[in-house]
Amino acid sequence: MKIKKILALLLACVMVFALAACSSGTDATEAPTTAATEAAGGEETAGAEETEATTPTAGTARVGVFYYAFSDAFIASVRDALDTALTGAGIDYQNFDANNSQATQNESITTALTDGYNILLVNLVDTASTDAASQIIEQAAAAGAQVVFFNRAVEGTDNEGVVLNAYDTVAFVGTDAPEAGHLQGQMIGNYLVENFDTVDLNGDGQISYAMFMGQVGNVEALYRTQYSVEDALVVLEENGYGSADEPALVYFDPNNTESYQADPNGAWSAGAATEYMQTNLSQYNEANGNMIELIICNNDNMAEGAIAALQAAGYNNGEGSTTIPVFGVDATESAKALIAAGTMTGTVEQSATGMADALLGMVQNIASGSTMDDAVTAVAASNADLYSVSEAVPNKLYVAYSAYTG
Amino acid sequence: MKNPISRKVEYYKTLDAKDRRSFWIDGLLNNAIYIILVIFLIYTATRNSRLLSWAALVNLITLVAANLPMALGIGGCIILTGTDLSAGRVVGLSAALSAALLQGASTVNKYFEGLGEPGLGMVFLVLLIAMVIGGIVGLANGFFVARFQLHPFIVTLATQLIVYGGCLIFYNSNGNNGQPISGLSQVFRTFVTGSILPPIFGQTIPNYVLYAIIVFILMWFIWNKTTFGKNMFAVGSNPEAANVSGVNVFLTTTLVHTLAGITYGYTGFIDAARIMSNTASTGQNYESDAIAACVIGGVSFVGGTGTVGGVLLGVVLLRVIYVCLNYLSVDPNLQYIVKGAIILLACSIDMRKYLARK
Repeated sequence: MKIKKILALLLACVMVFALAACSSGTDATEAPTTAATEAAGGEETAGAEETEATTPTAGTARVGVFYYAFSDAFIASVRDALDTALTGAGIDYQNFDANNSQATQNESITTALTDGYNILLVNLVDTASTDAASQIIEQAAAAGAQVVFFNRAVEGTDNEGVVLNAYDTVAFVGTDAPEAGHLQGQMIGNYLVENFDTVDLNGDGQISYAMFMGQVGNVEALYRTQYSVEDALVVLEENGYGSADEPALVYFDPNNTESYQADPNGAWSAGAATEYMQTNLSQYNEANGNMIELIICNNDNMAEGAIAALQAAGYNNGEGSTTIPVFGVDATESAKALIAAGTMTGTVEQSATGMADALLGMVQNIASGSTMDDAVTAVAASNADLYSVSEAVPNKLYVAYSAYTG
Repeated sequence: MKNPISRKVEYYKTLDAKDRRSFWIDGLLNNAIYIILVIFLIYTATRNSRLLSWAALVNLITLVAANLPMALGIGGCIILTGTDLSAGRVVGLSAALSAALLQGASTVNKYFEGLGEPGLGMVFLVLLIAMVIGGIVGLANGFFVARFQLHPFIVTLATQLIVYGGCLIFYNSNGNNGQPISGLSQVFRTFVTGSILPPIFGQTIPNYVLYAIIVFILMWFIWNKTTFGKNMFAVGSNPEAANVSGVNVFLTTTLVHTLAGITYGYTGFIDAARIMSNTASTGQNYESDAIAACVIGGVSFVGGTGTVGGVLLGVVLLRVIYVCLNYLSVDPNLQYIVKGAIILLACSIDMRKYLARK
């Protein structure tokens, strides 16, 4: 017994020494950052109205990139592009996966701040409230770090500026959340105007649609769900289809007051769409005269899932079969392939490399000492076709979406 | 020769008034799951008559067929008083591999550039690979559980993470860039979702329903007619006693987990073609429904009890809940609450008969 205990003690000692040996290499980098932290703390107490945080110099930029979920297809392509961009620019960076949990993300950020990261690129998990974002900014500011949120919105359009205007150590690079919904809606509207009679299978003058939502409570998902239908209706009405009282586009299930079906795991997954669609088709089909005539999805993955169910039921199999138009968002490679094959109708493209380049530009500008607003302006000027600055919030950079129909 | 019903009637006649009352109450409670199932179906049918159509029935059957094999695999782990959290992620990995190996020749974003159009032989080979991959993870689970006496909860929690990491790496390798793997070959899709049966009442029944029936029969045979099956129940009820009576506890535990792993590999293969778009989140949370189905179907966490038919019933009940909630157009937020409440109710009532027996 005694020998075992001594052995355990010895092993523990060896481990401690090993850890100390491993971390000795980073001691050099830790020293300046702790100094920076103290300096930032001192400044904050000096004057609250002039909260100018320390801007790290180009040499000491240490970037932490916090992704909401590695498993997301679009995020994975952003990660790939950003890894290439940051490595190419010789910037010291590290990736973190929150695995769709805000708690995990906060923990990685706290840890990274104590480890001396001074520029945080954050792909926020919780987009439903502004608290998560505010907490991260304050925590970072206290440690002298600056935060660039990207991809997932930190605030809704109705409370624009609540977070981003309140701090000057923060910026946002992303898409105008409602834009994807607007583009999808216009695309659907135009498509229906051109093909109304083909799409209207039962000839009742109304298109019945199904809507698959990626995640309840996600700002992006909400806007896409809302505007894709609203904008399509506007286009349809302008062209003489339906009216406000009798819309040309109606949800297929009149008893579902929400007018959408959402992934129960909030994972925007193809599987959820397949099973919903399969179940829907068992009661809404051509035999019953109430076939679903249009499918709108929050992302391409769900669109592909819905198509799987349609194909199993004998639709969307190319020539000789009826094609139910399916619309998604993201323009993943596989969705583009489906559009080329004619089994999917349209999607909204978001440029992953455009996003990555903008983030790199932000990091470089911040590292060389410019303010957040200036950095945003500089990046926006670098490619006016792709980037634009929000009118209401000067530290909010938009990467443009574009409609994709093949 | 008297049939069981008339024997029951005679037994009932011998009871006094008090016993007769408890006879009925026990009868009701012991069959509570069936009763809940029927009540739920009748209620839904009165609100939405389309539930009583062949299309609705076939839809329910295909949904059950998709979930059954995995539930049967996990059932074995629960009989050993364990559980398996790695199931969903193994499905994800196996789906990724199956899809990548069976993409069509003309697919634009092919994962393995060199592969041509797969034939039927290749489909069988990939099915085997998927099951072997699942089996290996299961073997690892079983080994650590049996060798180091670790609780399966912690072992499978760990392997789940490892498998998920592998899955993420897989999606980001070979220039795939995290994109979903789809564009599956026609032969693979026909193998899984096509139909060799003629349409029944105008409804086509996909092949994976037939495969699920085969898996069900196989599992029934393994659980009931083999020494391995008997050993599994023996180890589940009392590992010490099983060991003393000459059962190899280590081997049995390892094999039960391996068998479970094989069913996950199989599920991943089927799901790759059933859903057609595979990402790293494929299979996420699958295990929670499978475990719930087993427990609803009377596979007790106490260990040593459970039947293949019970697991089937559990899967059916969960799927009936899913279908009915959709047919009733229940608010998505309420669906979680209804589902949770039904699982809790069904399990509590069901546990009663095991508690009474003790």
